[in-house]
Amino acid sequence: MSSNKLFKHEGPWSDANDPLMCSDTGDWRSKRPVVDKDRCIFCGFCAIYCPIQVMEMVENSYFSPDLGFCKGCGICAKECPKDAISMMPEGDFEK
Amino acid sequence: MIEKKKGKMTKVMDYLKHEDPFSKGVAFCPGCGLELLIRFIPQVLGNDIVITGTPSCSAPVLLGQNSQSWHKLSYFGTLMTGAAANATGLARYYRKAGIENTVVCFNGDGTAADIGFGNLSGAAERNEPFIYICYDNEGYMNTGIQKSGTTPFGATTTTTPFGSASKGKNLRRMNLALKMAMHKIPYAATATLSDLEDLAKKLLKAKEAKKRGFAFIHVFAPCPTGWGVAPENTIEVCRRAVKTNYFPLWEAENGKIKMTRTVRKPKPVSTYTKIIKKFNHLNEADLQILQDDVDYEYCILGGLSVLEAECQLPVSAED
Repeated sequence: MSSNKLFKHEGPWSDANDPLMCSDTGDWRSKRPVVDKDRCIFCGFCAIYCPIQVMEMVENSYFSPDLGFCKGCGICAKECPKDAISMMPEGDFEK
Repeated sequence: MIEKKKGKMTKVMDYLKHEDPFSKGVAFCPGCGLELLIRFIPQVLGNDIVITGTPSCSAPVLLGQNSQSWHKLSYFGTLMTGAAANATGLARYYRKAGIENTVVCFNGDGTAADIGFGNLSGAAERNEPFIYICYDNEGYMNTGIQKSGTTPFGATTTTTPFGSASKGKNLRRMNLALKMAMHKIPYAATATLSDLEDLAKKLLKAKEAKKRGFAFIHVFAPCPTGWGVAPENTIEVCRRAVKTNYFPLWEAENGKIKMTRTVRKPKPVSTYTKIIKKFNHLNEADLQILQDDVDYEYCILGGLSVLEAECQLPVSAED
């Protein structure tokens, strides 16, 4: 789980000294995206279509969601051309 | 192996040159089209844009809550009646002060098509140098799913419910993007979230056209909560809207309309409506009315694009 960090850029009127607000949107999730590393062809469709932009590149070989903020909408699993992502019920996992 | 894999990456990645200025967990519904759009815009245009916006679904995130902010962009919150007028003031200030900046007026369809249409039309007529982006979720979603000018025929909303006396909205939707193209502004376009490469190209074109004057982009962004769409189907809805010609993709430079994506064999509009709950009650006759409306709009657009190519726009005195 990656924590929110300060950004380098500061807009003309925004104050970059305060940390940004950030909700634990990962708690909203009832289903969790699980990536099959071998089937992932690294096309990046899950990453560009993810509304929260939480799909991260791992070792330039596959994508993995940041489960701290993933809302579990399932767009990545739907848009994956190789069906490498499956939505598993959150109850199957231990926290 | 890794290098081979890397070569297949989608082209959209090349357009995402800038950092995502938003914090990771923001208060949008799961599967929200608006969230994808608002994160996409600064990643393509750069983080030095100034966004002006109105009370809408985007406002709780863009405006911030209490004393803190959800993002690192500059945001200017205005009223729905004066969105384009306020952006005009900002754009004129930056021009006068000699600051290179992009003002993005980011509004919903309620502001663009209904409440703030007057000064949107005025700003387009005066050719003010900013980008106006309308995210079209076909209703006033933030205040509880009321109908707006872009709500299509037959859609149920809380003000046009389905029941014994009402069968959803009984009027046609307005074609906002075509109206704006008819202002002969430097750039007007429609885009949707299923074709992000197209959207990125149009955003960059709008940024270029902003130097010559007003740029308008109409983005079709489904609302899973308001429309009764499963969150995972947000992108699929956009895709089907394009494939059925319900929302054709085109751009118009100085009023010259050009289709950016032509669908060879358009599917019947029922393939689009069947995955959306707000159209569930439509029978064959209602679907035919919607289909006729879609065909009519597309026919007009096709006709205009042919006519505009043949006819010459009168050259103004400045040129």
